[in-house]
Amino acid sequence: MPKFLIWIAALAALIALPHGLSFSQQEILVFLTINVLLVASYRLLTLTGEWSLGHVVIMGVGAYSSALLTKKLGVYVPISMLLGGVIAALIAVLLSFPLFRMKGFYFLIGSFAAGEIIRLLWKRFRDPFGGAKGIKGIDPMPDFSVGFYQFDFFEPTSYYYFAGIIVAVCLWILWRIEKSPVGLTFHAVHWQDKLAQASGVNVRAYRTLAFAIASGFAGISGALLAHYIGTINPNAFDIDLMVYVLTWAIVGGTATFYGPILGCVVLTVINEIVLRELGLEQMRPLIYGAIMILSILFLPNGLESIVQKFTKRRAAEGAPERRPAE
Amino acid sequence: MISKIVKSGLTRRTFLKSTAVTAMSAGLPAASLAAGNTIRIGFLAPLTGAVAAWGKPGLDGCQIWAERVNAAGGIKLGDGSYDVEFVSYDNEYDPAKARTGATKLIREDGVSFIMMLGGDTWPGVQPVADKTGMLFSTLLPSDLSPDTNTLIAPAEVHPIYNVTGVEWLAENKPELKTAVMCAQDDALGLPSVATYLAAFEAAGIEMLDAPLLFDPATTDFAPVVTRLISKSPDIVCLDTCYSDYVHPIAEQLFQQGFTGQIISCTADFYDQMIAKTSEEFMEGFVFQFPDFDDPALNGDNINFTDPNGFYEAFNTRHPGQWGAVSWEYASIMDLWKAAAEKAGSASPDAVAAAMKEGKGKHAFGDADWWGTELFGIDNALVGDWPVVAIESGKARIKDFRSIPDWYAKHGDLLIKHMQAYDQMWNQRS
Repeated sequence: MPKFLIWIAALAALIALPHGLSFSQQEILVFLTINVLLVASYRLLTLTGEWSLGHVVIMGVGAYSSALLTKKLGVYVPISMLLGGVIAALIAVLLSFPLFRMKGFYFLIGSFAAGEIIRLLWKRFRDPFGGAKGIKGIDPMPDFSVGFYQFDFFEPTSYYYFAGIIVAVCLWILWRIEKSPVGLTFHAVHWQDKLAQASGVNVRAYRTLAFAIASGFAGISGALLAHYIGTINPNAFDIDLMVYVLTWAIVGGTATFYGPILGCVVLTVINEIVLRELGLEQMRPLIYGAIMILSILFLPNGLESIVQKFTKRRAAEGAPERRPAE
Repeated sequence: MISKIVKSGLTRRTFLKSTAVTAMSAGLPAASLAAGNTIRIGFLAPLTGAVAAWGKPGLDGCQIWAERVNAAGGIKLGDGSYDVEFVSYDNEYDPAKARTGATKLIREDGVSFIMMLGGDTWPGVQPVADKTGMLFSTLLPSDLSPDTNTLIAPAEVHPIYNVTGVEWLAENKPELKTAVMCAQDDALGLPSVATYLAAFEAAGIEMLDAPLLFDPATTDFAPVVTRLISKSPDIVCLDTCYSDYVHPIAEQLFQQGFTGQIISCTADFYDQMIAKTSEEFMEGFVFQFPDFDDPALNGDNINFTDPNGFYEAFNTRHPGQWGAVSWEYASIMDLWKAAAEKAGSASPDAVAAAMKEGKGKHAFGDADWWGTELFGIDNALVGDWPVVAIESGKARIKDFRSIPDWYAKHGDLLIKHMQAYDQMWNQRS
């Protein structure tokens, strides 16, 4: 089947998807869509070889920024979402000065500490951040009509379409970045940093760039979340959610663009839909943990390795048979 | 159906219609708010995670309550008797999951009423409540504000009842003159801090230091306790700490040699605390939540049905799991059942109206709907509250104290401290 037909079929499926789901599953779909952007942006950072524990807090920076811009300054919600992403990226640039003096494990711990400092600031300064209780009554995305469809953003289906478009555009940008010379340089910074440095690549600048871009998109995902649920607080961006992001990335695999997205989708569906529907609501942490351990034991390269095996086989079957030279 | 809702804009009417259609299309027995002969009640609280201790025992208590009510003939409405069934959703104390849960319970399960723990999760649910008009209850009245018309706090007025413990201490142990306090820095800890500060000030007990606020992610309480007792206070107040904090703090106080008075909002699973410390150390520990085998609960003033039998059934089924919330959600159901029977309907509007007619039958005695000054709305049921102390390893009610009486004398102090911590309804963002 031609590639564009596959894309059209996938698009049609994504458009039809919420209409085949129950109301609560539509809600989960909205959060899943937002988390797809979060985990995909996290992968961009990992391309340079650095794993951060502050990515979820950076998502929170986007959420807080966008919420405050709308509440305090009356900025139009879509603009504030974009600005939320920009502010998250700028904060990341600021953080990069101390953080990129470290590498590997030290960067991991440093990013956790930086994230905790930001969370403590949200708690400490009740004005404007609302302290421990956070901010509530955040302006929702204003409803509008495009003629054939009325967007009512209280409804999860409407918000799914809105968030889906934004996430799709962001994923396309992330994809283009990865495939560009800049993306190739990110890989070089990870795998051949000394060689890259010797070739004139400013390793630290590229690490900072990856950190800022990843943070910008994480900030947009935070803004999407804030304007949907209407409330945010410092605990919503704590290490618990960060562990989920790491789990999605590890279980999905980070070698491909789609690996972490696959991990996020599969684990969310198992955790939020399958286990709840099976009546195992209170057993979920236990079962979720077991699934994680089993996947690491038996799928060390992540869920993406299954897809790769399948697509390689298909490619091999489709390839013309090699004959000895006549 | 969905496109119809989308085109017309969502209203309460379309919500209820869609609920009925969804229930019928799913082949569920309950196709309306009270169809067949079963009424469904939603239980939207944390059942897993750090705050599960204030959700799970409540659900267990509700199951016992439902069995007892159903065995006694169910709920008698205008058109017959109905059994009660609880439908739970684990919100993991997360506002986003609470919103998803509220949507499921209302639009898919067709519940007539939803009980929540509240706190961080309520703001996520509030838009759903506003759109649907569903009646919700919270254990945390700090969720109340003038625009939360469908939210009631009928079981506990956390943290206001904490004043009764301090008042009792001041009267019965006048030699205690100084206090210190620690609390987790979150939506549950801060209003409680303000309340204890007001109660200590009203009782003439001096605070030696500003309240020590620790991060909810704290796991090592040794430095917290060291700093807390460095000025040799007579009283250490543990505020409204989660049981995951109360236990290690008590353990640290024991290990670091504190021998003074401890006061806390809760002492869930206090038998485990005694096992980790000693019976002597825990003697006289004052808190606010009784065991329901307490003889003081057999008085005529108590509105909770057969508290001793309920406690026995709970402990037989869930040994060692009795906690502050084990009876609270069940006591809310007592109120809801009485109101539904009075209204002859399970409809949220009718039940809410019937519930707020005259005095409310609170578990610890008749009480008034109250709260305009503190919460901006009279949706909290306030009356007497017990003061509990551990004696020879067992929790015993020492006295019942009137919260409105304390407030009449010292309400200005409470408002002062609530304002200082930005906890008044008009200060919450």
